[in-house]
Amino acid sequence: MVWQTIWGQIVDLSLFAVLLRLMTPILLAALGGLISDIGGVINIGLEGLMLMSAFTSIAVGSSTGSWVVGVLAGVGVSMLVSYGMGFFSLKMKVDIIITGFAVNIFGSGFTIFLMSKIYGLTGNYSPSGAPRIPLVKIPFIEDVPVLGKLLSGHSLMVWIAVLSVFFCLFLIYKTPYGVHLRSVGEAPYAAQSLGIPIKRIQYSALAWSGAFAGLAGAFMSNGLTNMFVKDMTAGTGFLALAVVLLGNRNPIGILIGSIIFGLASALATIVQTVPNSPIPSQFIQMIPYVVTILALVFFALQNKRRLATLA
Amino acid sequence: MKSSRAIYLEVGGILAAVFTALLCGFIVILFTSSEPFTAISALLLDPLSSTFNIGTILNKAVPLILTGLALSVVFQSGVFSMGAEGQLYIGAFVGALAGVYLPVMSPWIHMPLVLICAMIGGALYGAIPGLLKAYLNASEIVTTLMLNFVAILTTSYFVNNQFKAANGGGYARMENISKDILLPKLFPGMNAHAGILIALLAVVVVYLLMYKTSIGYELRLVGKNGHFARYGGIATRKVIVVSVMISGGIAGLAGIVEILGIHQTFKENFSASLGFDGIIIALLARNHPIGVLIAALFYAYIQVGAQTMQFGSDMPREVAVIIQVMLVLLVSAQAIFTYLKQRYAKTGQKAVK
Repeated sequence: MVWQTIWGQIVDLSLFAVLLRLMTPILLAALGGLISDIGGVINIGLEGLMLMSAFTSIAVGSSTGSWVVGVLAGVGVSMLVSYGMGFFSLKMKVDIIITGFAVNIFGSGFTIFLMSKIYGLTGNYSPSGAPRIPLVKIPFIEDVPVLGKLLSGHSLMVWIAVLSVFFCLFLIYKTPYGVHLRSVGEAPYAAQSLGIPIKRIQYSALAWSGAFAGLAGAFMSNGLTNMFVKDMTAGTGFLALAVVLLGNRNPIGILIGSIIFGLASALATIVQTVPNSPIPSQFIQMIPYVVTILALVFFALQNKRRLATLA
Repeated sequence: MKSSRAIYLEVGGILAAVFTALLCGFIVILFTSSEPFTAISALLLDPLSSTFNIGTILNKAVPLILTGLALSVVFQSGVFSMGAEGQLYIGAFVGALAGVYLPVMSPWIHMPLVLICAMIGGALYGAIPGLLKAYLNASEIVTTLMLNFVAILTTSYFVNNQFKAANGGGYARMENISKDILLPKLFPGMNAHAGILIALLAVVVVYLLMYKTSIGYELRLVGKNGHFARYGGIATRKVIVVSVMISGGIAGLAGIVEILGIHQTFKENFSASLGFDGIIIALLARNHPIGVLIAALFYAYIQVGAQTMQFGSDMPREVAVIIQVMLVLLVSAQAIFTYLKQRYAKTGQKAVK
């Protein structure tokens, strides 16, 4: 019965739509994680950044009545906090892992604090008539049977996420900034001796990660659900972090990794809705984590072999 | 070895950080509360106002001390494990299985057996990222984070299916553990359970292990300088695996003590990030066992204070997060401590190393 349900959803392409929805926040956050990782400042605070953006986005969006303002505010807050991360890790010399960790605790606690102080609510905030990130209906294609369902009717943020992959490819591999970024991450002292301002580059890398995590968070509250639920990111930021490694630190790899993670969440969602399913949903939810560990082992083995042939 | 001056300087720096963090919390309360002084006094004084609250502080400190110890061990060997949460789940799960399903025997044998099973469970689960780190150089941050999810989901599966209590009232949990191996209350009329004794014992054991044994010495040496340790003839890889396993064992102990002291059976998602709180404790304590004890008590105090503040004023308890985050950031800010030391050296005193 589960297989029939899954097969039915594959045939009528609704699995594909669910996959795109669930993949988008992972992909966006992972692209953020990628840029900071390439710049040598691994950002494990993605989860906290997403939460803060999710809350800001729906709060500002519903009070101004404009989703654009909401999303921009969310991205702005997220970037501001990542500058704060830069201050603590680059200036005050706090380990970047600890800084990210602090941002995660802060994001979870502070959003609940604000929700209870501003709205007097403790669990979730769902303003009626809050503006949503619009769906993109493509004229003509919309009416073509299969193509319409594949391409039309998805949230604007899905498209932004896909375009961001190409933007990141361009930014990292085709611009002088990208060259600086990679050299700072690979060999900071060498980069410094060439006169590249390491700290400025690292601040900007963190800001990029804040911007993308901000988009991801804003999509979760203003696009996916139209509400803010405490701790609503539920580990998406950590998934994104795993995708960065799974994707072998390049945007296309990250796209593929996000698809794998999105697919697993989509399947788990379907299995959970089928009563008396013989497949435990826990094991399907587990797939991405196990895949990540296996991928890490695979890359490590490959590295080891390469080093062995060099020696 | 550090000179006593350096230790004073470090303790002074940490106290200054604690003070600044509290100050940040107070400032936020002043700006957002309509009754700031009620709120602050509830936060600072109410935890000590009743034996019930004091008992709660001790109970909250127990898992924090244990996970803090677990992480301080592994951090000292230079491995940045985030895996205490998962190890805690596996340990608690294995221990609870032993508590529920072992044949009837004297509680004097049964209880230690349950604790040992939990520690073995946690240690073996800790061995996975340890081996991956030592032999493949796979990032322990990612593997441990992923293994946390795997542990939580696996135990959730089992208590939803094979080991689900028949009379669980719709909750995903195991059968109740027999009353005679639960941790007893310390004093009548106080809710503190005997777990605090286990935690104190663990502090002493970890202290002796880290500072009085050769494995502790090797472990710290590997953490300080892995290359140097390897040239010095230390089997770095083995040391890393051992340190992660010790850490996992203590995390497993934290899990089962929480079960035997508070929950009385294994429940799905029971931990609510105790393993991550342990990271904060280890950071605040600078990985020192005695520091872990103090930091955990302080942290538990703030948590209980936040609760009494939520009852007694218009402030939600999440304000405590600001204090926690500032604490973590300020205590780990190397720049502040370097600055303090330079200032100290400049004022004409003997330079401090």
